Amino acid sequence: MPEAAKPKESKNIRIVKDATCTFCGCVCDDMELTVDLDAHRITKAKRACVLGRAWFYEHTLEDRPVVLIDGKEATLDEGLDEAARILVDAKFPITYGLSDCPCEAQRVAVDIMDTINGNIDTTTSVCHGPSGMAFQGVGESTATLGEIKNRADLVIYWGGNPAESHPRHFTRYAVTPKGMFIPNGKKDRTVVLVDVRKTPSTPVADIFMRVKPGKDFELLWALRALVKGKKISENIEEQTGVSREVLDDLVERMKNCQYGVLFMGMGLTMTRGRHFNSGAIYSLASDLNEFTHFVAKPVRGHGNVTGADNVVSWQTGYPFGVNFNRGYPRFNPGEFTTSDVLARGEADAAMIVASDPASNFPKKAIEHLEKIPVISMDVKETHTTRLSRVRFAVATYGINTGGTVYRMDDVPISLRPAFDSPFPTDQEVLEGIRQRVKKMLSGSKARVAA
Amino acid sequence: MSATLLHLHTQPQVPLEAETLSPATIAGLSELGIEHLQVMHGNVKAKVGDFFKVTGKGTPDIHIEGDLAKVKMIGACMSEGRVIIEGNVGMHVGIGMSGGEILVKGDATDWVGPEMSGGRITVLGDAGHMVGSAFRGQSTGITGGEIFIHGSAKNEIGNSMRRGLIAIGGDAGDFTAVSMRAGTIIVMGKMGVRTGAGMVRGTVVCFEESQILPSFEYSCRYQPLFLRLYLIRLQEHGFEEKINDKHINGNYERYSGDAVELNRGEILLFSG
Repeated sequence: MPEAAKPKESKNIRIVKDATCTFCGCVCDDMELTVDLDAHRITKAKRACVLGRAWFYEHTLEDRPVVLIDGKEATLDEGLDEAARILVDAKFPITYGLSDCPCEAQRVAVDIMDTINGNIDTTTSVCHGPSGMAFQGVGESTATLGEIKNRADLVIYWGGNPAESHPRHFTRYAVTPKGMFIPNGKKDRTVVLVDVRKTPSTPVADIFMRVKPGKDFELLWALRALVKGKKISENIEEQTGVSREVLDDLVERMKNCQYGVLFMGMGLTMTRGRHFNSGAIYSLASDLNEFTHFVAKPVRGHGNVTGADNVVSWQTGYPFGVNFNRGYPRFNPGEFTTSDVLARGEADAAMIVASDPASNFPKKAIEHLEKIPVISMDVKETHTTRLSRVRFAVATYGINTGGTVYRMDDVPISLRPAFDSPFPTDQEVLEGIRQRVKKMLSGSKARVAA
Repeated sequence: MSATLLHLHTQPQVPLEAETLSPATIAGLSELGIEHLQVMHGNVKAKVGDFFKVTGKGTPDIHIEGDLAKVKMIGACMSEGRVIIEGNVGMHVGIGMSGGEILVKGDATDWVGPEMSGGRITVLGDAGHMVGSAFRGQSTGITGGEIFIHGSAKNEIGNSMRRGLIAIGGDAGDFTAVSMRAGTIIVMGKMGVRTGAGMVRGTVVCFEESQILPSFEYSCRYQPLFLRLYLIRLQEHGFEEKINDKHINGNYERYSGDAVELNRGEILLFSG
């Protein structure tokens, strides 16, 4: 990745130290940004990975209207009024997205849905939602990435390719860094990678286990049985693609390590079995605590998807797929998760914050989204903004706005914005909608718990 | 006493949560009383009469006509009586029922009979996911009763069920009897993968070949006597075309598991 193009030298330069990259769930907070304040560009991002550099360098201030209603330019107040009216008039309004905006905005979105008795869901439902469900079902043995860096001597990646999806996960947190009890870094660690194919992450691994596609659960279940000293069927290699000898060796390593960690990617959580795959990995980590210390962590994708889980959990008691129709929160993935609600044609209005479901949801869900009034907030034009009745162009979190985000290990980190934006923040737009919604509902259509 | 008839005259725009459409609530009410019962239309309180035309006084015998795919929780908490649904039905039919009977003549969607402890639900068409299963976060699914699906059903049939009988005339999805505590599931078509994962006790019967998890162990091939009683009873409940003498008198291969749990569960696969 070359450095960002510099049209001309500028003297109006600002250096932002310890800035935070919000591109992926690693949320690296050791960036040093060089900002050309005249050109409104970041010209250098020290310590950023290839994805982080693209995130910072390609950010420009686009010449877009702040608000469009039915494709026509409008004022911010008009947009907020129309958005509030759509939400208040709806019988089954939904909010979706939220993983690419700060926690301060997320909590306003939850409050809006709580006020209008709507349905709130985040992109968690289509990435690590199964891990959330499994966590609720079987519990979680967990740790921060700092603890893993300082202590883990056995690191297992399952169904992920961090070299391409989270490039600094290896170097900053789990493979190469030297830790308090891991003085020699990679030399003191054994790295295992389980995947259906070789990826750019494979060379990092000391042991690569190639599992047959769709057989992760069977392999994890066999490992659980072996850890517990139980018999497994003799055709395990035929079933899973991994031989009994390799499994026995891994089980011995897992039982005898000082501190083990299982990282799971979407190759595990979004393949056949979903929450049971995540549940199997959490259960395996719990089983191993009979012998040593073992933890399991999902490797999260979006910059603040972990924050969305935390905020929605803190405000409603559940991490995603929460329904307020009756005035109190109910959690039921499959019933209240957005792709399902839309595919069944149930919602009659949608507010999409920092997400693009129109480009990646099932066809039936997108078709329903096209039929109902949609309010969208995004930094760029997307398929979702194009089909929206009310669209707000907002400032980019982490680059133009501050706030709090959660790293994938549930550690909150403050943002240090690089330069100002003419666009409002997600929080400002959501606050405006909240005020109007509360005003419209006060004294008239008060929605009481059924 | 003639049945209470409800005819859907207005299709709900969004899901209608109608737990009041149950003998437990309707029995003894007048027509007007039934029409004024509350339902939740999305986030708005509405009345039964906004969607249904009611004919007859409230009795424990209810007939409901119309496409009820968006109507949830019919037959909630019923302990006696009968509900006949002349079409499709939405989620959570028979939630919390402890007695009586529900007959769905069309298809059902997800969560048929959650928190059920007694009674019988019969679906003549197909069913969705989570038939007789626990809600997310619950440790126990149905604790009694019978669920008969004459068509196929999707994933997680009998998730964490503790007692009761579930019969599927067609195919079953993945994770049938996952985390099962006790009870019986009989599948007359094919099963998906990972049957009985994490099961503690209980019995799963299938008439077709099936993949077995590596944590299950082959026990023996035998003719389980108890199964004859179950199959003869199911023949009496409309499964006579699916259950032949060969199934009643035939041999079954028994696999025990799940080894990662108590290992007291069993999967019986028909082998002729």
